[in-house]
Amino acid sequence: MVETLQNLALGFSIALSPPILFYAFVGCVVGTLVGVLPGVGPLAGISLLLPATFGLDATRAIVMLAGIYYGAMYGGSTTSILMRIPGEAASVMTCIDGYAMARKGRAGAALAIAAVGSYVAGTVSVVGLMLLAPPLASFALRFGPPENVALLVLGLLVLAYMSGGSMLKSLSMAALGLLLGMIGIDQMTGFFRFSYGVVELGDGIGVVPVAVGLFGLAEILATAGLPAPPRVIQPKLRELLPTREEWRAAAWPIGRGTVLGFLIGIVPGSAHIIASFVSYAIERRLSKHPEEFGHGAVAGVAGPESANNSATSGAFVPMLALGVPSGAIPAVMLAAMMVHGVSPGPLLIKQQPDLFWGFIASMYVGNVVLLILNLPLVGLFVNLLRIPYPILYPSVLVFCVLGVYAVNGSVVDVWIMLVMGALGYVLRKLDFETAPIVLGVILAPMIEMALRQSLAMSDGRYAIFVTRPISATLLSVGLVLVLLALRPLVTRGLDWRARLAIAEKGEGEL
Amino acid sequence: MRLVALVLCLVAASLVSAQEPYPTRPITMIAPFPPGGVADLTARPVAAAMEKALKNPVGVVNKTGAAGAVGMQFVATSKPDGYTLLLALSSISIIPEADKLFDRPPAFTVDQFAPIALISADPTILVVPAAKPWKTAKELIEDAKKRPGQISYSSSGVYGTLHMAMELFSHATGAKLRHVPYAGAAPALTAILGGHVDALASGPAVVLPHIKSGALRALAGWGDKRVAALPDVPTFKELGYPDAEFYIWAGVFAPRGTPEPVLAKLRETLRVAVADPDFKGAMDKLETPIVFKQGEEFARFFEADARRLAAGVRKVGKIEAK
Repeated sequence: MVETLQNLALGFSIALSPPILFYAFVGCVVGTLVGVLPGVGPLAGISLLLPATFGLDATRAIVMLAGIYYGAMYGGSTTSILMRIPGEAASVMTCIDGYAMARKGRAGAALAIAAVGSYVAGTVSVVGLMLLAPPLASFALRFGPPENVALLVLGLLVLAYMSGGSMLKSLSMAALGLLLGMIGIDQMTGFFRFSYGVVELGDGIGVVPVAVGLFGLAEILATAGLPAPPRVIQPKLRELLPTREEWRAAAWPIGRGTVLGFLIGIVPGSAHIIASFVSYAIERRLSKHPEEFGHGAVAGVAGPESANNSATSGAFVPMLALGVPSGAIPAVMLAAMMVHGVSPGPLLIKQQPDLFWGFIASMYVGNVVLLILNLPLVGLFVNLLRIPYPILYPSVLVFCVLGVYAVNGSVVDVWIMLVMGALGYVLRKLDFETAPIVLGVILAPMIEMALRQSLAMSDGRYAIFVTRPISATLLSVGLVLVLLALRPLVTRGLDWRARLAIAEKGEGEL
Repeated sequence: MRLVALVLCLVAASLVSAQEPYPTRPITMIAPFPPGGVADLTARPVAAAMEKALKNPVGVVNKTGAAGAVGMQFVATSKPDGYTLLLALSSISIIPEADKLFDRPPAFTVDQFAPIALISADPTILVVPAAKPWKTAKELIEDAKKRPGQISYSSSGVYGTLHMAMELFSHATGAKLRHVPYAGAAPALTAILGGHVDALASGPAVVLPHIKSGALRALAGWGDKRVAALPDVPTFKELGYPDAEFYIWAGVFAPRGTPEPVLAKLRETLRVAVADPDFKGAMDKLETPIVFKQGEEFARFFEADARRLAAGVRKVGKIEAK
């Protein structure tokens, strides 16, 4: 412990030195911008800026790239809350309740809660990263394909809790998402599936164009279709800050989201994006007022926003402790380290204590910077809502197209976004929720890959899922969840979903 | 009248540009893989060194997708004027072969490219988790022959470079291993470090730290010489399997039809570029040896390699669902 504190002191002496502080600041600002721009996520942002870091020394480069990563997680909530456009894929869940809060005139509160939740999650998870990195990393490595299957199946079960309306409707949307996720090269055999000769479709349907289309474009289309334009919200200064009740409602979701996000983040190969989906589902399940979800529940913003931030720190655990990337973004950062002649690996902490502890300390500093950066910006961002719709929406549309194009430089992605926008509009009119589609698109290729890898490992024997302790445990948890969900059938009681349906019916009649 | 003047201007401009020396405007080098990958990390220092030698901007653009096919197709069909170049890896010879296998219209063919120069070539090495019993390649091969299909290996993806290396190994030694493909070299490494598979063919740089830390053991290499950083690890050639030869290489290509003077200029530029101290420093940090071949020499290397890989792909054949 004393040693850790000494090391941390060394880290802070590096992180607070003006040049490192400067690069952390630049990273955070760029990250916030990347997060705010619809479509452009942290991966695209880091990839675009990676070459610019080649001239820097290793610590500066890593500190700046990490700043972009967690900065994007802060910034991603902004457009989700204000315009229902996910700034990056992890913000999809924030769109639902964050935007609903904004429509109720609580945009400022939602933004502030997202920023504070991100700050708490960011800071607490760095403590976790610092103290637990080596043991957690070796544990995380035990997650092979069978464990990932179990984890992802749990993620799918979560679908059932995600949306409020009819179970049939949300499951059919999930099925549609899973089907869309099947498009692309079959990773196990090299077959192109449903690509119809379009080489770009070989990589499958990207999450970003789907999310931006289904949420952002559909919202714009729906607004355009209204008989009268919606009232322009005029936020008042004193309404910017969350009320005492809102803080109280946010506290536990932030705590739970932090822990959950961190744990999902460290697992290599799993989707870090699902942290925010799972957090949303858990909050809804635990809430005393599940009917508020979808209509501006504070917990629906606080939980997922915290979860996606702490997942970013979690993702650094295997990278720093073992030199093993847990996802696409840490992989790019590992490459950045190699460019600077730092060979990432299990010996990094011993061989490059300056880099490791400087990096850790810079994450504490970076989170403070982001909080200072984001809270005052809340007032500024909220004013975007004052812009009249005929000006606001066309410009947003342009940014969506640019952002989605910029990620892969692919026109095919733009088309996917446009088609998804039209589809999202139709589905909205028919009262379908679209979030399960996004989750399906994310999960389908991962579950399929992990399932088939597991079976390749076991030579086709399904026993592999129950003979490995971690996957057996996870699957049992899933089974318990299913049994709990079936309970109302047996006891004939009304579950929250049924109560909700009744409540909504009542609303409709009013 | 105005229109005629405009047309005349354009014609005049194009005539002038035809006579102008190459290059007069920025050159784009396409890296068909995302930033941070081998192609990208090689392309950037190459482009920087070329820029210095040519005194003309050379920019790297990552055009990614479909395991590199999108970027390679883009260059194959772009104007052969020397302003669009490709930094390709070994997979350039694999993709058209796999397309053939599945009877699909090929995204591109290798003869749509004019090879300019080879920049680097790194033999793959065979590693196993240190906890596994095999101390030498021979022990692994014998064990694999005793229980065919029971020992598993991870790869960067089906028909990917790391898969091909193992297939060439299997074919040369007669040892049958079980393939568990992953989506990229990094997850394949994670899988072996987690003990989920028993073996991996990998480029030396990424596994070196794990060999040093004692997590992995290197058994043999696919090169015709031992890897400098691993002097105790024999090559398959030394072990009596000369057919198990494989390199992860990076080379620069132009679209076929690029005028010979331009190609000559590019060859000359690259020769200067690889000698550039900054370039050498960059490649040193990546622990990737510079292996420079150009003209006929590169063409021969490229053809031999393409033949080996095509044979490898055909040997694997179509993977039928079990």
